[in-house]
Amino acid sequence: MKLAFQLAYKNLIGAGLRTWLNVAVLSFCFVIIIFFNGMMDGWNEQAKRDTIAWEYGNGHVLNDKYDPFDPFSLQDGHGQIPADAAHLTPILIQQGTIYPDGRMVSVALKGIDASQTSLELPTQALRESDAEIPAIIGTRMAASNKLEKGAEVLLRWRDKNGTFDAANITIVDIFENNVGSTDNGQVWISIEDLWKMTGMTGEATLMVAGKEYVHKELEGWHFESQKALLSDIDKIISTKKASSGVLYMLLLAIALLAIFDTQVLSIFRRQKEIGTYVSLGMTRRQVVGLFTVEGAMYSIFAMVVGCIYGIPLFIYLAKTGIAMPQASQDMGVALAEKIFPVYGIQLVIGTIILVVIAATIVSFMPARKIAKMDPVAALKGKLQ
Amino acid sequence: MDTQPIISLSDVSKRFPVGDGEFTALKNINLSFQKAEFAGLVGPSGSGKTTLLNIIGSLDSPSEGKAVVMGKSISALSHRESALLRNHHIGFIFQIYNLLPVYTVFENVEFALLLQNRSADERKKAVMEALDWVGLSSMAHKRPDKLSGGEGQRVAIARAMVKRPAILLADEPTANLDAENAHIVLKMMKKLNKELDTTFLFSTHDEKVMKYLDRIVHLRDGKVEEDEIITTQQAAS
Repeated sequence: MKLAFQLAYKNLIGAGLRTWLNVAVLSFCFVIIIFFNGMMDGWNEQAKRDTIAWEYGNGHVLNDKYDPFDPFSLQDGHGQIPADAAHLTPILIQQGTIYPDGRMVSVALKGIDASQTSLELPTQALRESDAEIPAIIGTRMAASNKLEKGAEVLLRWRDKNGTFDAANITIVDIFENNVGSTDNGQVWISIEDLWKMTGMTGEATLMVAGKEYVHKELEGWHFESQKALLSDIDKIISTKKASSGVLYMLLLAIALLAIFDTQVLSIFRRQKEIGTYVSLGMTRRQVVGLFTVEGAMYSIFAMVVGCIYGIPLFIYLAKTGIAMPQASQDMGVALAEKIFPVYGIQLVIGTIILVVIAATIVSFMPARKIAKMDPVAALKGKLQ
Repeated sequence: MDTQPIISLSDVSKRFPVGDGEFTALKNINLSFQKAEFAGLVGPSGSGKTTLLNIIGSLDSPSEGKAVVMGKSISALSHRESALLRNHHIGFIFQIYNLLPVYTVFENVEFALLLQNRSADERKKAVMEALDWVGLSSMAHKRPDKLSGGEGQRVAIARAMVKRPAILLADEPTANLDAENAHIVLKMMKKLNKELDTTFLFSTHDEKVMKYLDRIVHLRDGKVEEDEIITTQQAAS
């Protein structure tokens, strides 16, 4: 085997441009696979991180009657905040309607403790404002309703008895984040204001757990851990990974096709050389091994070459991030302005192993033909 | 003295499929060669010279009859056994040299020894000695494409001889050489034959080669037409 590696190395180096063209294609494949995977991992991590920071915190304590996937449950899905609810940020959710520019837009009216620190929502703006009903909204909400900081907009809501009421709210801050569910169709006001507006004093729909929160049973409430809340994102990520896997397979197939093609051509063009190896005393199996190792060695060379330009590129991208076009954010896709790719060791090693094994297999396939070659015909270069 | 022939061919025939029929390249060949012979298979194209060399070199096997080389029946050898036979006991020289293009002269000559798993020191010593025999030690690091035809064939001789084979099979070794280089190469092979007791077996129709041979086997249409032993007087004349 050592001899096969020695000879394969010499043959590949000696083949010059032919080798380096294959190596270039394969190394590009390596780098692109790792780049895309890294970007997806970065995007996924970012999505999880942002969702935790802006929405999930350390988990949610939900009122038993509230179902986050059923808007009708908002009517009854709230209750008195338990007395021993430590390290929990209460959120009361009610339905409302705003009338920007005379249009009617349904919104989720969310009351939150203005002094909370569990989520990154800039709720201190609610505390610091002198407006009668200060509100904060996200950039998407602001853009879709043409609302700016300082704008006043009419809000209509129903109190605990079902009576409609209306007042102007003032947009005191517009925050930017990547978590659409805290932005699109959401109006955040102080929970105390909402309590006053609805008469639901001391009530909440859900409570966001802080870092120090330790779960204990609360009657009428149930706890959903951060992990359980993230399970949907995890499912989306795994689906996304599976679909992006098709792209990697296509890329890999192109590179492997180049190796396969080179091997087929190589075996055809190097018949006399194969005959010479046999006449010098190599067994056919050794010659098959040599050609297989040659093919596999393309992937080793590609790995080295890929490292030379890939590592600096990955380090640079992981530091500076990849800017995403504004259009993709406007489409409502949870995308940050910049995605910071994550290149884990598992990703790199996994890709290397995959490419080396695949390259070895596609090299072996045409090389098997050598085992059936007539050495005399090979020496004459007469095989078709 | 060992009188057992190093090569023994009994009723060897070889047929190749051609279209729906067969072409008979060798018909009932009976020959034997002793150690250190300097012999040639001579005949026109298609007479079966190369086919016979290939059978002796265990690159091919007879359709009928028995070919025994170094005491081993060629037909009975597995791929691995015939590879071992070639690697240890048989050297080949081809008309177009068949040097490995990406290797240097040194590496080309070293190749057979690499297959024998010899140590680096042993290989280096043997390769330089073989290159000395053919007068090319100064070209050890050149690539084959930088050599003239004569030099290329001398490298091929060094490659074939470096493992000190018992038999050296040369298929039209001078066909691509000019007269001067052909004589240089033949003298060199004759010298190695005398010094190392290697059996040389040529396939040729080159008059220049025939002048050096001690035995000429004339082949025609796959049959032995004449087996001629050249006496010292004949050779001198």
